[in-house]
Amino acid sequence: MKRHRALLEHVLGALFRRRGRNAAITLGMAALVGLFSSVLFVSEALRAEYRALAVTLPDLTVQQLVAGRPALVEAAAITRIEALALPGLASIRPRVWGYLYVPSIEGNVVIVGGAGTDAPGVLEGGRWAEGEDEIVIGNGIAHLLGARVGDELALAGPGASPAILRVVGVLSGQTAALSADLVLTTEARARALLGMTAAGFTDLAVTLARPEEAGVVAEAIAAALPGARLLDRRLLERTHELTFDARAGFLGAVMLPALLALLLLAWDRLTGLGDAERREIGVLKAVGWSTSDVLAARMWESALVGLVGATLGLVVGYVHAFVFGAPGLADALFGWSSLHASLSLPPALDFAQLLAILGAVVVPFVGVSVVPAWRAAMLDPDRLLRGGP
Amino acid sequence: MTVALATFELTKRYIDGERRRVAVDAVSLSIDTGRLVALRGPSGSGKTTLLGLAGGMIAPTSGDVQLFGASIVHLRDAHRTTLRRERIGFVFQELALVPDMSLLENVLLPLVPTGGAGRAERERALALLARFGLQGREASRASRLSGGERQRGAQARALLRDPSILLLDEPTAHLDAKGAAEVVSLLAGLRDEGRTIVCATHDPRLANDPRVDHTWTMTDGRLMDPDAPRPEAPAC
Repeated sequence: MKRHRALLEHVLGALFRRRGRNAAITLGMAALVGLFSSVLFVSEALRAEYRALAVTLPDLTVQQLVAGRPALVEAAAITRIEALALPGLASIRPRVWGYLYVPSIEGNVVIVGGAGTDAPGVLEGGRWAEGEDEIVIGNGIAHLLGARVGDELALAGPGASPAILRVVGVLSGQTAALSADLVLTTEARARALLGMTAAGFTDLAVTLARPEEAGVVAEAIAAALPGARLLDRRLLERTHELTFDARAGFLGAVMLPALLALLLLAWDRLTGLGDAERREIGVLKAVGWSTSDVLAARMWESALVGLVGATLGLVVGYVHAFVFGAPGLADALFGWSSLHASLSLPPALDFAQLLAILGAVVVPFVGVSVVPAWRAAMLDPDRLLRGGP
Repeated sequence: MTVALATFELTKRYIDGERRRVAVDAVSLSIDTGRLVALRGPSGSGKTTLLGLAGGMIAPTSGDVQLFGASIVHLRDAHRTTLRRERIGFVFQELALVPDMSLLENVLLPLVPTGGAGRAERERALALLARFGLQGREASRASRLSGGERQRGAQARALLRDPSILLLDEPTAHLDAKGAAEVVSLLAGLRDEGRTIVCATHDPRLANDPRVDHTWTMTDGRLMDPDAPRPEAPAC
């Protein structure tokens, strides 16, 4: 203990003496870890946000395919499902929604008809749409257009002249990942904007008393409705998780090994153990330091630099992700829509993940730094002091 | 009188590119406790290598080195390190101070692996620096000291653990006449305290000083002095 305390004191002095080089390594590592951890933080926050929202989704979604294309679901489908008298079935709710291109934002918005408090999102301001000419808009649309409650927007359905609609509510940015591009209105207005007939629905939202029976219920409904496609919420959740896993994994896989190896190799080759450091090791051995003393000091030095760099990197990643909204990474993680969520994500940190990042960075860094010192420390002090090979 | 340091047919060969070079060639010598001796010879004659072999800094190609009757050649690295730390004070020709550490930090460096310096050790270090005329220079960076100051600082560090044997490589190399005379006086004083001191030098001011008990001459790795005290062959 006393030995390590003395070594640590020596190491702190050495860190200060080589402060230029150590600061450069620390900052390089902080940048690298910051970038990597920002990806993890954002993807973890998105997953957490989706998990929070997923509870509002229907257990099963019933769609209709005709010749492989999505078609409207007829009202008679509801009667046929009810006729099955499935014991686990709690409710069937027909939904009207679809995509509408809005030239002023050069992107599609999602029109949802008849959605009230069960809409995927919570109101940031205003109220839910009640009248034919009222809409609630997502945070992304509001941000893009600079629209607020009380403003009016002109939206035109296919082949129809624009309708002037009043914004009566804006959805919260907390659920921006799923609600940024939504326009909620009455069912009639939604049908008009989407060019739908009054007879059909986009899909049916099925709620079950026991969600774990979704597979059985889905099979029964599929058998009763030829051409029906059933989406299981648990599968959607899994798909969502995998999507962000894959995107984050792709970014991480590209960044971490390449940049880490580059950084460490560069430092190892260029400044890892120059003549001055070899001489210093020679001095230490000559005055009675053993090889293990030299290595212990080197390990302390690398561990301190690695820990400070990685911790700083985690802070940088946190700020980048949760304070600045991950500029530069949002496209890759969110997709390439022109209607981005504002990314005011609630921080979702996994302590094990933080430890894993620290371990994944600090341990190899210490290892790579110690190897050249170990190779030097195995030589005779005389050889090191004379600057021999 | 006890033999402090003895070498037996001690040889060190280096491979220098394609060539094999014999730095020390079958050197046998014996030095009693409490002697101040000099190894004289031109550059490249093998003095420094012999000093390094005697201090356990360099592993020999063949032969043996004994300190107080015990061989150090086959000791493990950790034991040799302990020996270097506890019983041998070594002063290099290169002076071997860490340039960006203060003089006092350099002097206290040997104590770090054993827990660092307490108050007593710091006082001893300061006293040694004062003895070598370096009071007031303790906080100066080694890189800002003159050659003579670094020389004396390295000698002070070598004495920190009160070693039995002091090995010095060119201890007067960086000094003017007055400084060299002071160093010889210091070495003689240390010898009088019972230490065994071996100096490698090509400085006649040291080699020919009457206070030096014996001077050997080395040429091409060999000991040339026919009257050199030679050890008896070690028992197998």
